[in-house]
Amino acid sequence: MTAYGLAPLLLIFPAIGFFFNALFGRRFVEADSKIGERWSGWIATLAALSAFGVALALFATLQANHFEAMVVPVADWIVIPAADFAVAWAMRVDTLSVTMMLVVTGVGSLIHIYAMGYMHGDKDFSRFFAYFNMFIFFMLILVSGSNYLVLFVGWEGVGLCSFLLISYWFTVEKDGKMVNADAGRKAFIVNRVGDFGMVLAIILIFWTFGSLGFERVFESAIEMTVHQETVHFGFFSAPIGAVITAIVALFLLGATGKSAQIPLYVWLPDAMAGPTPVSALIHAATMVTSGIYLLVRSNVLVELARVSFVEQGIGIFGVISAPDLIALVGASTALLAGLIAFTQFDIKKVLAYSTVSQLGFMIAAVGMGAYVAAMFHLITHAFFKALLFLGSGSVIHGMEHGHHHIHHAHSDDHPSDAEEFHDQEPDHFDPQDMRTMGGLRHKMKWTFWTYLIGALALAGIFPFAGFWSKDELLAHANVNHSNVFSAVYWMLTIAAFCTAFYMGRQLMMVFFGKPRHGAAEHAHESPRLMTVPLVILAVLTIIGGSMNLPNISFGGGAAADSHAVVEEGHGEEMVASSKGLTLALEHWLEESLLIFELSEEGGELAAYENYEYPHTPTTLVWVVAIISTLLALSGLLLAMFVVYRKRPLSATDPDPLQKLKPLWWFRILPLETLYMKTVVPAFKWLSDWLAFTVDWNFWHDFVHNNIIRDMFVSFSTFLADVFDKYGVDGTVNGIGSVTKGLAGVLRKTQTGYTRSYALGIFLGAVLLLAYFLWFAF
Amino acid sequence: MGNPIVFGLLAVIAIGSAVGMLTSRNAVYSALFLVLNFATIGVFYIVLNAPFIAMVQITVYAGAIMVLFLFVIMLLGAEQLRGVNSEHWFHLGLSILLAGLLIVAFFIVLVMEGSTTSAAPMIDTSPTALGLRLFEGYNLPFLVTGVLLLSATIGVVIFGFSRKRGENV
Amino acid sequence: MSEVTIEWYIALSVVLFTIGSLGVLLRRNAIIIFMSVEMMLNSANLAFVSFARYLGNLDGQVLVFFVITVAAAEVAVGLALIVAIFRTKKSISIDDLNLLKG
Repeated sequence: MTAYGLAPLLLIFPAIGFFFNALFGRRFVEADSKIGERWSGWIATLAALSAFGVALALFATLQANHFEAMVVPVADWIVIPAADFAVAWAMRVDTLSVTMMLVVTGVGSLIHIYAMGYMHGDKDFSRFFAYFNMFIFFMLILVSGSNYLVLFVGWEGVGLCSFLLISYWFTVEKDGKMVNADAGRKAFIVNRVGDFGMVLAIILIFWTFGSLGFERVFESAIEMTVHQETVHFGFFSAPIGAVITAIVALFLLGATGKSAQIPLYVWLPDAMAGPTPVSALIHAATMVTSGIYLLVRSNVLVELARVSFVEQGIGIFGVISAPDLIALVGASTALLAGLIAFTQFDIKKVLAYSTVSQLGFMIAAVGMGAYVAAMFHLITHAFFKALLFLGSGSVIHGMEHGHHHIHHAHSDDHPSDAEEFHDQEPDHFDPQDMRTMGGLRHKMKWTFWTYLIGALALAGIFPFAGFWSKDELLAHANVNHSNVFSAVYWMLTIAAFCTAFYMGRQLMMVFFGKPRHGAAEHAHESPRLMTVPLVILAVLTIIGGSMNLPNISFGGGAAADSHAVVEEGHGEEMVASSKGLTLALEHWLEESLLIFELSEEGGELAAYENYEYPHTPTTLVWVVAIISTLLALSGLLLAMFVVYRKRPLSATDPDPLQKLKPLWWFRILPLETLYMKTVVPAFKWLSDWLAFTVDWNFWHDFVHNNIIRDMFVSFSTFLADVFDKYGVDGTVNGIGSVTKGLAGVLRKTQTGYTRSYALGIFLGAVLLLAYFLWFAF
Repeated sequence: MGNPIVFGLLAVIAIGSAVGMLTSRNAVYSALFLVLNFATIGVFYIVLNAPFIAMVQITVYAGAIMVLFLFVIMLLGAEQLRGVNSEHWFHLGLSILLAGLLIVAFFIVLVMEGSTTSAAPMIDTSPTALGLRLFEGYNLPFLVTGVLLLSATIGVVIFGFSRKRGENV
Repeated sequence: MSEVTIEWYIALSVVLFTIGSLGVLLRRNAIIIFMSVEMMLNSANLAFVSFARYLGNLDGQVLVFFVITVAAAEVAVGLALIVAIFRTKKSISIDDLNLLKG
């Protein structure tokens, strides 16, 4: 059975959903909000679900056809015969793209269902779902494109949808600023910087390889590297290794924009201005991972950049290879964002910085050559981060309803409680502020349990999905020996500890203790439409790790094992393990990742003396697993302790938690005071400094406002006042007056007599004939 | 392709009637000269083994079309133009010069590229053969011509109508 | 006297065409201009038929058939136009129709 031909349906279904909601949805909803919402929402959801069905069919087809990749042509797109330039719009169906399709449409469908509950009662209900379907459409174009230009179309399309959805509630004002619209604009403009890199990379690829199709590009890249060819750029020329390094570095710039890495991560926390389903779908599960997808797709180029550094010393400024730079950027982002997440009080901002941090993990994995681990973490992260965002949305939803409740009931129903909260201005209530929450585990049972599962997975607790994916990634960094890899390993390990800490803190503040606000007191569970997707995602989070379980060997010590893996990494062990149930994802993705074939015995890259592809260990590395588990547990415990000991609440609030019995045995330790006096303030100071000085003042205000904006302003002033006024206007007016003068002369020839015109035609005919005769004889 | 004497006679009649059409002051004479011209060309068609086209030439051109011309001339009473005949010498000169050039150019070509081969043998040009050729090779043009005639008919009818309405208002 | 060849017919056709075009260029009576156009069409038809005879195929005659059909349509529309113009201008001199004068 081959169903490759079904691939275009992937795009058609979301497109239908988009057009329906864009053209008719509003009328439906306006006619009857209840039925209209149901139609609008379900049609969008069905569109996503149908795409998921198609993705499943493609998945089955690949299984049945020995994972054979297939390029399904859709249409001719750009054909310039004179320049020998032809880009077809074709869809590439291989294991990598199908993996992404399954994630996008699967998680996307669940979030569609959830959004029907979350967006209930919104006045622009159908606009939301139109954007959502459009996003799915463009995301599928991105992952299914068979060349870089189609990928770029999807890349820009999802950027557009991101912009539209971040500023979805664009009329909201705060302190006289259009905060949501500004956040959307910021995301769009910051992404422009990254997209600039993408465009340059694509131009460079076309110039160098004469094609944009993945297969052609990779083939000629390998061939040119093996033959050490030189690329000519008119006035100068460069060795192929340098060009590939430049391409990969430009891809990294693109990925830092889309996947929110240093230095362009600043847009993602602001992007939380959008509705929560948007944060879950676009800014956690799918769109922000497209940078990782791009780099994994270009795995050959990344490895060739590593080859040229190792073999010829060609790197960025000659000091570092492009993949190492990718790994370091990812690892430092993971660490920095993890630290910044400590000081956040907004429930979604914590998750946003956590997303930045986790994306850093994936980027670091790609830089280290652990493409499968990166994809594995991408998938599990899509599950549990979507779960966490949807859970936080459920919490916000509950808080808003609780607030609504007390706002209307005044102090009639609960006089004693209400008194306590009355000094708080109701207008300043922020349903996303964790300081107003607390004790929600009794009010929102489903949300709590699913959230707990997601948080534990994110923290990397056995046996949830996050443990396996994070562990594979750390093990890879640990067993391959190089300075960069060791640095990355330690940075990521600390980042993993930070992750556990801030997730523990969030759990404590949101779900434990007593309610600190009337809204939390009256919060209630969200409707079924919202909790069912939570449960499904929770199940996926629990079992997701089984996708790529490592072999677990109990023989030998942990340390010895890790060495053995390096030596046998691609020997018999791989062959032996390939028959079991373990490492399913790796065997599946191997079919698309050309690098596996190239680095095997007899492959083009295996011939190099110094270069060796950094293989991921196939067995569980005990020492890494134990260290990360211990750190995760200690992070969670530390968070409990800190939050209970001194909650970061607003100053006006009394501390209701002190009356409880918070892990009291910590109190009797004298270390506790010492810790509170030294480590915690220092830590707080560091994260405050990172958050407010480095992140906010430096990046947001100084670099973005002063440098980038002022440059833009002066450039556009130049364009407006000088170029436009004198250059453009002068040209236009000049053309006008010349035309007028000519017309004055030429109008005299227009006698209006038919015979004059006829004579003109006759004259032309005779001249034409004379011309032909002259040249024919 | 015909007897030279017959050709010369017919050619003289054709050119003469054409010049007559060109120079007659009265439009009715012009039309009659043109009928003669068309009829001569019809005879040429018979000489050239195109009997069906010759019949069409006589009935449609010399008959129907020219009757229409005469009818319009009579209807409008436009046998002769009133008013001064303002001659434009430059225009006249240039026109005649160009016409002369055209004829000279063609004759140079005809002399230089004189054909050496004689005409192909006679073929079947009966209406049956012509009809078969028409419907085998020119199906679409035939249909398009039908549409053209229909739209011409509608156009003419609309001209008549819009005039009336304009006068009434 | 030699046999009549294709050149003779082409020459006749050229002469008739030139006389027709002179009619278009020099006469002011719209109806005569129109008749001159018809003559130009006829000269082309003559060339077509003689080529058909010379090459021994029917396509030239079929084309003439089409030209005659189109000419019939053209005459109908053209004469209707002339009648319409005469009704407004009370003249069929094309020198009176100089609305396009620049």
